[in-house]
Amino acid sequence: MSEALDVSMPASDQTYFAYAQGAARPVSPEPAQAPGSLPELVGGRYRIERLLGVGGIGAVYRARDLLREQFGDPEPYVALKTLSEEFAEYPDAHALLYSEFALTARLRHRHVVRLFGFDVDVTSRRAFITLELLKGPTLDQMLLEHPAGLPWPLLRSIALPLLEALDYAHRLGVLHGDLKPSNVMLADDGLRLFDFGLGQPLDSLLPGLPRLARHRFTAWTPRYAAPELLDGGELTAAADIYAVACVLYELSAGQHPFRRLSAKQAKAMSLDTDLARPPHLPAHCWPALRQALAFDPADRTGCVGPLLEAFRRNQPSRWRRWLGLAQG
Amino acid sequence: MTVIAKAWHSASRTDAGKVRSGNEDAILDRPELGLWAVADGMGGHRNGALASRLIVDRLAEQACEGPLATRLAAIRQCLHDVNRQLSQALTVTTDCPDPVMGSTVIALVVADDRAACVWAGDSRCYLWRGGRLYQLSRDHSLRQQLLDEHAMSAEQVAAHPAAHALTRAVGASERLQLDILEFETYPGDTLLLCSDGLYQDLPADALPAALGLPSASLVLRRLFDEALTGPARDNLSAVVVRR
Repeated sequence: MSEALDVSMPASDQTYFAYAQGAARPVSPEPAQAPGSLPELVGGRYRIERLLGVGGIGAVYRARDLLREQFGDPEPYVALKTLSEEFAEYPDAHALLYSEFALTARLRHRHVVRLFGFDVDVTSRRAFITLELLKGPTLDQMLLEHPAGLPWPLLRSIALPLLEALDYAHRLGVLHGDLKPSNVMLADDGLRLFDFGLGQPLDSLLPGLPRLARHRFTAWTPRYAAPELLDGGELTAAADIYAVACVLYELSAGQHPFRRLSAKQAKAMSLDTDLARPPHLPAHCWPALRQALAFDPADRTGCVGPLLEAFRRNQPSRWRRWLGLAQG
Repeated sequence: MTVIAKAWHSASRTDAGKVRSGNEDAILDRPELGLWAVADGMGGHRNGALASRLIVDRLAEQACEGPLATRLAAIRQCLHDVNRQLSQALTVTTDCPDPVMGSTVIALVVADDRAACVWAGDSRCYLWRGGRLYQLSRDHSLRQQLLDEHAMSAEQVAAHPAAHALTRAVGASERLQLDILEFETYPGDTLLLCSDGLYQDLPADALPAALGLPSASLVLRRLFDEALTGPARDNLSAVVVRR
């Protein structure tokens, strides 16, 4: 697992994407053969039951843990994530998935998904992560159910744990890199932020962890990626803040802030000049949210704090607002 | 066993065919839920297989109780949800900035004496009743569009190079438009859900000849025997449901 890596760029024309120069060695040796299809029994232990979701790069299944079942666990279910077959064929695909595991495993927060383990299925040579199985709608589904946006109390009950989870991750030096409604779930026991598959460690806080080399592999979700990422820039906390602001705006207004366009398209059309406060959003939250949606990263704050602070303040009562106005 | 399960019997099968190495089709055969479906993935083997599997696995989670209207609403919501996930929420890469991950779907849901089929794409639903065959679904394909809107003959359409292109599918565009047909069912009704891989190369009399057989499994076997004697260039899937 800790074997040294020759970090020079590979001479082949295969696409390598998981490691930047100077990063640690891959977690597992390059597979001699292309990985096969995901078997129904993974790692001799996890029986695949159904596909829960696909994200473009990875797929998540519900699986029954036969070992836990043998010991009488009444709920022997886990979620099992693999890279989709197309990406599983990349030479350092295992390392990409391990990077997600290594980053997320450092986070212990009630609103961040809990990971169990990383492993490789010997027969198919497919790497996989097991994680807690969550039940509940994603924010995507919430948006379908609330086409006109969420009322403030519901919006606030989602925004606070989401911002707390992101703030916590950033404080520990972990950037998410792909925040979007389908990566946030309202589980039975509370919100969970998941899928750190495009995440990055902050240099200063988590040295030595594998890093995605964005100059060799760029991936994003067009409507939530900050403009600087689309221009090939490095992932920063400010990019995560842009993405979470898009999500919060969409939850509040029922529609994406920039007509579902990418930041690059929206910037070219100067759509930010028309941006108005969604009706469900209290006025006191708007300055922080508006700032977080700035196209220029220098205009955004580099931390979640101001947004979190704004959403923590509850809407003043009508009586208080009247008093405030009366007092000038 | 529910009342639904006692009233309906079904048999299903999916096969990669003779040419393709993988199978992008997925089937759902759940008589105890009164729910059946065929999905035919598009966009290349891997993505297509994930899309069709996601559809049938999500459909299988739907509640099996309540009147037809309630169950139908849940199925529609489920398909719109999958559509949003596949068309708007995918992470993309520079190598593949506009990935296609989609699938046709034809689903059949029954409650008491009522049934409904819901579809997008060119997977079909046929009804065999009283010795007559009815095609209940209308394909969402360029072929059908050329026939309906451009008054082209079947021969002209057959010569069109893109006739098989789909005009609707789950995951193909931001807005999914589903077609729905509700109808009464009667004892002896036989319904066939199938992907284009099954029906496209069958001779005209093959479906009536098979659907008149005495059990769902016999119907299924006859259909696959017939289809697999042909070129079977595509994946082929069928669900046969009999009341």
